[in-house]
Amino acid sequence: MEALEQFIHAGQLSPVRDRMIAELEDISTLCATYRSRIYRYVLLSLRDPDLAETVTQDCFLRAHKARSEFRGDCSISTWLTRIATNLVRDAVRSRKFQFWKKANATAVDAGDIAGRLRAPGVSPERTMVLREELKAVWDSVAALPDKQRSVFILRFVEEMEIAEIASAMHLHVGTVKSHLHRGLASVRKAMEQKK
Amino acid sequence: MNEDHLSAFEQEEYILGEQTPEMARHLGNCAACRAAVSRMEDRLAAFRSAAVDWSEANASTRSWHMPSSTRFLPFTVMRWAVAGVLPVILMVLALLAFHAPAPRPASSQASISDDALLEQVDDQVSVSVPSSMESLTHLVSTEDDRARLGSRQSESGSKALVESN
Repeated sequence: MEALEQFIHAGQLSPVRDRMIAELEDISTLCATYRSRIYRYVLLSLRDPDLAETVTQDCFLRAHKARSEFRGDCSISTWLTRIATNLVRDAVRSRKFQFWKKANATAVDAGDIAGRLRAPGVSPERTMVLREELKAVWDSVAALPDKQRSVFILRFVEEMEIAEIASAMHLHVGTVKSHLHRGLASVRKAMEQKK
Repeated sequence: MNEDHLSAFEQEEYILGEQTPEMARHLGNCAACRAAVSRMEDRLAAFRSAAVDWSEANASTRSWHMPSSTRFLPFTVMRWAVAGVLPVILMVLALLAFHAPAPRPASSQASISDDALLEQVDDQVSVSVPSSMESLTHLVSTEDDRARLGSRQSESGSKALVESN
């Protein structure tokens, strides 16, 4: 991101943009490079593997169709995240999703997720405590409002910078920070209850 | 910053990478705050690891296909296909029109049989009454007919007399 901004200031945006558009031209390479990352973000946001697959495919299709509109003012990854965020928002708003969310509220078993925790060299008792804590974190993230959860995932799973998240989600940096503080407060509270 | 410990908000700021030199100094000296921040960071790292693991396990079960090959590529391909094939079709039609085959001369055998057939048709058409309706033309008898009929009856009467004898 910083490198890109340096290019912009140096008036060398066009070659960078051209290179990025060339990358967008080849949809198979684009998918191979960014699919796992976009799918992860969408899956964690929606928690529905089938819907996440559809949204991920749609994200790449739209990106490829709109490649000529890419201005090069952010990285391709951020641009794809922006498209994915819009699609996730649309999916969450759809009445069908709301219905299934209510009908299948525990579709993703937090216990199953916690069971994936690898803690080599730790006693079974300690591992169990860690799993319980992870389950609490998972549940507290799941309970966050949609936008807060997306911001939380982008920061703590995708490890994006706050400014990048703000760009991807069309939010002010201050708003992103506010969402992150609230998310962390929820996680802290859940962990304290598990103590 | 609290005199004794970092507040929850300050700990969160530190985790978000918004630390000030005072925070860093305090964490260097305060084991309790360091443990609290470290615990939070460890749980977030565990959350990330589990999320990545779960996502990868899910992604591996998916049958990914290229969106382009199924949705919008056919439109482009179809347009190019039509654009390529259309001139060829027009050229073939033009060639067919210019080089249409001349009518073939009829063979003598065929012309004879055709003449015979035409003659037969002509005969049939020129007959005033069709053969199936010919008997109906004799319903009204003339004097000749009556004479012919009388002679036939006398012949048949004599035949019957001979037979009865």
